Amino acid sequence: MNMDTLAALFHGFAVAATPYNLFWSLVGVTLGTAIGVLPGIGPALTVALLLPVTYGMEPTSAFIMFAGIYYGAMYGGSTTSILLNTPGESASIVTALDGHAMARKGRGAQALATAAIGSFVAGTIATVALTFVAPLMVKMALLFGPTEYFALMVLALTTVTAVLGDSLSRGLASLLFGLALGLVGIDLQTGQARFTLGISELLDGIDVVVVAVGLFAVGETLFTVARHCFETEELYQLKGSKWMSREDWRRSWKPWLRGTALGFPIGALPAGGSEIPTFLSYLTEKRLSKNPEEFGHGAIEAVAGPEAANNASAAGVLAPLLALGLPTSATAAIMLAAFQQYGIQPGPLLFDNNPELVWGLIASLYIGNVMLLLLNLPLAGVWVKLLAIPRPWLYSGILLFATMGAYTLNNNIVDVALLWIIGVIGFGMRVLNVPVAPCIVGLILGPLAEQQFRRALTISQGDASVFFTHPISLALIVIAVTLVLVPTLLRWRAARQAGEAANQA
Amino acid sequence: MLKSANFRIGETILGLASLSLGLFIGFETWSTPPIAAQTVIGPGLFPALIATGLILVGLQLLYEAFLHRLQAEEFPELDWKAVILVAAAFASQLVLLERLGWIVSGTFLFVVSAMAFGSRTHLRNLMIGLLLTALTYLVFDYGLDLDLPTGSYIEDLIDLARGSV
Repeated sequence: MNMDTLAALFHGFAVAATPYNLFWSLVGVTLGTAIGVLPGIGPALTVALLLPVTYGMEPTSAFIMFAGIYYGAMYGGSTTSILLNTPGESASIVTALDGHAMARKGRGAQALATAAIGSFVAGTIATVALTFVAPLMVKMALLFGPTEYFALMVLALTTVTAVLGDSLSRGLASLLFGLALGLVGIDLQTGQARFTLGISELLDGIDVVVVAVGLFAVGETLFTVARHCFETEELYQLKGSKWMSREDWRRSWKPWLRGTALGFPIGALPAGGSEIPTFLSYLTEKRLSKNPEEFGHGAIEAVAGPEAANNASAAGVLAPLLALGLPTSATAAIMLAAFQQYGIQPGPLLFDNNPELVWGLIASLYIGNVMLLLLNLPLAGVWVKLLAIPRPWLYSGILLFATMGAYTLNNNIVDVALLWIIGVIGFGMRVLNVPVAPCIVGLILGPLAEQQFRRALTISQGDASVFFTHPISLALIVIAVTLVLVPTLLRWRAARQAGEAANQA
Repeated sequence: MLKSANFRIGETILGLASLSLGLFIGFETWSTPPIAAQTVIGPGLFPALIATGLILVGLQLLYEAFLHRLQAEEFPELDWKAVILVAAAFASQLVLLERLGWIVSGTFLFVVSAMAFGSRTHLRNLMIGLLLTALTYLVFDYGLDLDLPTGSYIEDLIDLARGSV
């Protein structure tokens, strides 16, 4: 089995290393970093905005470019977190904590360096793990029927909703909104049109890209313009030595490895996401550090570990995406949408039907990682210049690209109208503190889950207990329910104890 | 800055939005015969479930809004004029984009948006807007074979010009 995998990977390298594909990998990596650097634009939005660029390309090259964009956007995002303290996504919040503190102390270059090298180490190791885990998952997937798939999707939806953020109701509102958006279009089982309100362009449903760009880009822009009088940005320039001292190396390398060990498994779990590993890494490094009081004020371990964890979990997320067709993050959801646009359905069959695509993609991850390291260490100064673009131009430019992206999807003004409406809703969500990720994952998983659900019921001839009688399905559902109930119960207990303490005081 | 009055407003809006969406979906599902007829294993099931979920969540949010169960959160101060300006500029794209073409309406969007962000360098913004839109037009139309609109009015003008030459 391992020999097969290595042979396939070797073949993948042959695909990825052609000059044509290397070029696209480089383009992807560069564009991904450049756009990922821009504040407020996280990896999910970067991939969504750059989708139009790939429309004319053939799938293998397009996905090689995507892989570059994916990893590149994560590098770019850490640059922003460290220098500008505006993390592009929730996983970068932890990096911003100590990374920005380091920047304030004039150690920004070292923070960037440890993030870059840590990301490279983590990315490479995690990609190796991906190489072996993905085929394993495929074997596991062969045990899955519609019942198990449905339960798995329920679990994924639950974790995205319940684990993030404080208010379960808001997460659920976001998720249900995404599911509702997913209802629009032709029902796949019966050909019946649903919720198209008489608009023929809606028969194909609402594109994930439109929703992602609307919620992330347009919503964020509207929110930023609303706050622009009240917030100023502090941009820290890179000063002094660019290189890490021996002490920095000594303190970084174990966090890199520990971060990877935390990041990949959690990212690969069909229920993970990248916030948990980064937070866990931070806590672990703090526990294990000899100087825990430095944390929060510029401890290099606090950047090294979480960054490695972030990148490792990004590679991990690709495992269920490729092997099971299950997206576990907003970025993965958008990549799934990209696959679907080419008519390719990720999952166990993907490895059989399109091996050059899958292994080419995985091989290009290795290549992309190397390119990123070579690109980012010397070019850090260039990316910093990007950060210095004045906000009016930056966000107006983002609006332009968002409009362009929406229009060129189908050459259709309806998509732009949708973009506008969803952008306003996204603004509302930002103001009301509603998380966005559940909506995106709900939008893309909803229709898939519905298909599996109805298939399962058709096979069992209407017997709904089948979800509980299949052992795997039952186990997954139990885990999902636990993940929802436990935090709620804990919070309820904490509130009660606080109430009692207040009463006694 | 704790503005608990605003907190209730925010939660209430969310709750009402969720509730109304749920009711809308429920209503639509019920009033479309082919869908309503097959609510067990058919196109009506998921909409029904989702509508129910939305209604329940909406009610829960309204409950939380009126009982202050959660910690009151900060409701940030917002510059509504700027938001409306940008939103209006964006909405205008819906009308302008296919009539005046990408370069004109894109530049318009850029300039108005930059203005909303407080930029005063309108002429420079105009230049940048033109540059960006022209560049993307060229790259996307000729480089990537996509099709950004030239605008029906502009095409009419070009035809007129050709006609008279």
